[in-house]
Amino acid sequence: MARKKPKLIKERVPTIERPAEERVHDFKEVNLGYTFELAVKEAERCLQCPAEYAPCIKGCPVHIDIPGFISKLVEYRDNPDKAVKEALNVIWACNSLPATTGRVCPQEDQCEKNCVMGKVGDKVNIGKLERFVADYAREKGIDDELLFEIVPSIEKKGQSVAIIGAGPAGLTAAGELAKDGYDVTIYEALHEPGGVLMYGIPEFRLPKDIVEKEIDKLRKLGVKILTDHIVGKTVTIEELLQEYDAVFIGSGAGTPRLVRAPGVNLNGIYTANEFLTRVNLMKAYLFPQYDTPVKVGKKVVVIGAGNTAMDAARSARRFGAEVTIAYRRGEEDVSARVEEVAHAKEEGVKFVYFVNPAEFIGDENGNVKAVKFEKMRPLEERDARGKRKIEGTGEYVTLEADTVIIAIGKHPNRLIINTPGLEVDRRGKIVVDENLMTSIPGVFAGGDAIRGEATVILAMGDGRRAAKAIHEYLTKKREEKANA
Amino acid sequence: MGYEILDKKELAMNEVLYKVHAPHVARKVRPGQFVIIRAFPTGERIPLTPIKWDREEGWIELVTFVRGKTTMRMANELRPGDELLNVAGPLGNPAPMKKFGRILAIGLITGMVEVFPIARAWQEFGNDVTTLHVTPEPMTILKEDFERSVSRHIVESYQLQPGWGMNEIAQELVRRAVAKVRELLEGEHWDLVFIVGPAGGEKAVFEVVKEYGIPMEADLHPIMVDGTGMCGSCRILYDGEVKFACIDGPGFDAYKVDWDQLIHRVGFYADMERRALEEYLKSLRGSE
Repeated sequence: MARKKPKLIKERVPTIERPAEERVHDFKEVNLGYTFELAVKEAERCLQCPAEYAPCIKGCPVHIDIPGFISKLVEYRDNPDKAVKEALNVIWACNSLPATTGRVCPQEDQCEKNCVMGKVGDKVNIGKLERFVADYAREKGIDDELLFEIVPSIEKKGQSVAIIGAGPAGLTAAGELAKDGYDVTIYEALHEPGGVLMYGIPEFRLPKDIVEKEIDKLRKLGVKILTDHIVGKTVTIEELLQEYDAVFIGSGAGTPRLVRAPGVNLNGIYTANEFLTRVNLMKAYLFPQYDTPVKVGKKVVVIGAGNTAMDAARSARRFGAEVTIAYRRGEEDVSARVEEVAHAKEEGVKFVYFVNPAEFIGDENGNVKAVKFEKMRPLEERDARGKRKIEGTGEYVTLEADTVIIAIGKHPNRLIINTPGLEVDRRGKIVVDENLMTSIPGVFAGGDAIRGEATVILAMGDGRRAAKAIHEYLTKKREEKANA
Repeated sequence: MGYEILDKKELAMNEVLYKVHAPHVARKVRPGQFVIIRAFPTGERIPLTPIKWDREEGWIELVTFVRGKTTMRMANELRPGDELLNVAGPLGNPAPMKKFGRILAIGLITGMVEVFPIARAWQEFGNDVTTLHVTPEPMTILKEDFERSVSRHIVESYQLQPGWGMNEIAQELVRRAVAKVRELLEGEHWDLVFIVGPAGGEKAVFEVVKEYGIPMEADLHPIMVDGTGMCGSCRILYDGEVKFACIDGPGFDAYKVDWDQLIHRVGFYADMERRALEEYLKSLRGSE
């Protein structure tokens, strides 16, 4: 490729974003992304670090050749379809859900964190470029075109794999294994595949028709999806092992963590999982056109400050509520993506720091009316994650609230971890070896089921690693059989 | 991919039975477990209890009590040959199968359908089971099935009076249930009382049973969404701890349940449920 030396463009090409005052009234997507022209302009800012050095690739949990896909946009700038197809081919080598990751990855902590451009100006907007490639390809049918080129070349291995959970980890593992020629069946408990992409992340951040189309691609690769199947109830892992040559557990961290404080069962107190499931998966924001109700009062308090808390807070704003995020630590410890926090603030979500819930106060009908918080103060000492430790002050503050959403995290799903012979740690996380194999031979695991709670992209990274390990495991099995 | 409705019939007023092809559930389900179904693309997920099943033929029978939009729409619109969109399960824990001795198993109105598989299994297990169905007259169901399956089946029914609303029906239900249960507890020895019904009725009966100190199990029905332990909508306070009815239940020791909280929680969406039903009824009138 003929590389002319462009002069450094220090500022990011801005993406198109709907104004806060408009978007806060609906659930339509907030950021509208790049057009091809804008994407090429942003792509030109990339310094094209060589692959063996590029810090962005090192920062990516699935090691996408980022300069590689960006260069295609510039190289074929006169032929947008070709440019996108080439770029998508590079991304797909490592990531089968780019429309999703382009939207929900915490790029500022991963690929973009060490972008060399950051030394002289803004870092390259890798996330929005990835998203652009995926969106353009989908809209033009380029992804299908590429898929049809891949499918006939798949060499069937005659072995089968069961995947538990159709979330990011399971979908990724399924896609990789199907491309490797295995018969893949996904067992999903809910009525829609997608896991947290469907029930957790709101429409305005990740439109559901995009997730559905990403899942359709897997079906085109031959992946079978059984919804309504609860592994541990409908079928056990032991039974799956009789029917399949290997099993991957990507069941996530399905059990919400609750605040241990009196009154936690008052009406109007939701876990973030319940609130978001009602709103996203069951489409309660379209009640009564959709049957599932949700009650959002005038004053909503969200407890926690992770991505889930931002999603819950911003969703509640869209019902017209006054929303406050209450966090027991300080602003610098907020774990949500920078973009989510900024969006939440733009949309009028208020933040209160250093408050820890002590009691939920109800009215005579058993409905919540206020939350009593203990004021906290930070200490100099830091915990294992590098966050400042906090301690109670003995002083209290009460916030009025007719809806409370608890977003302080999740535990792994109990239905799976009760499998005999499956080793779990004391927090319920499945124990795996360096190949992501569990204590049961042939059973692998990844994502939140082994991590407790992480991100979509880390789960996808596990799905990829596990697919590789399963491929090696099954290859050995085939060879043993052939030699026997 | 849906689940074919093989048969549909009205068992009694507002009690509709659906025989559904769901081999993945039929293979595994045990008495006390439930399923979550979804019937329409814009629909909600509702828990229902299989009352009978055939593991080889792959069907289960579900009974709905027509009282809200979903159950009414199902009754109006679904025909044999149609499909339920989703049947997820089996969910929850099976009822404990052991020799208790003499069991009084009570079903309040439609709760009786849930009592059936459990009572039958207990009887087969060697228990001496008496079943009691407290219900308004037109909702007497499964009478012959019970009479064939347990030692003794008692129906305590009453006539609906003109002008009664849901409140009056419920008050009479509680009055009847409490009186009949007291009569039975007074005259006979019991090792276990089991109950399925609306939370208010379950609580009222429990208050009586408590006076006699007899062990009591209750199946609880807080509002559920996913039914797999993921959302926490169905949480109850049990012996001072938060439990999820979907994965820790649905059966619980009645002595440890915080009944008043449960009653508050089941009523949380009553106004919205009414609105959904009214809008649906309006749409029916509009389409005529």
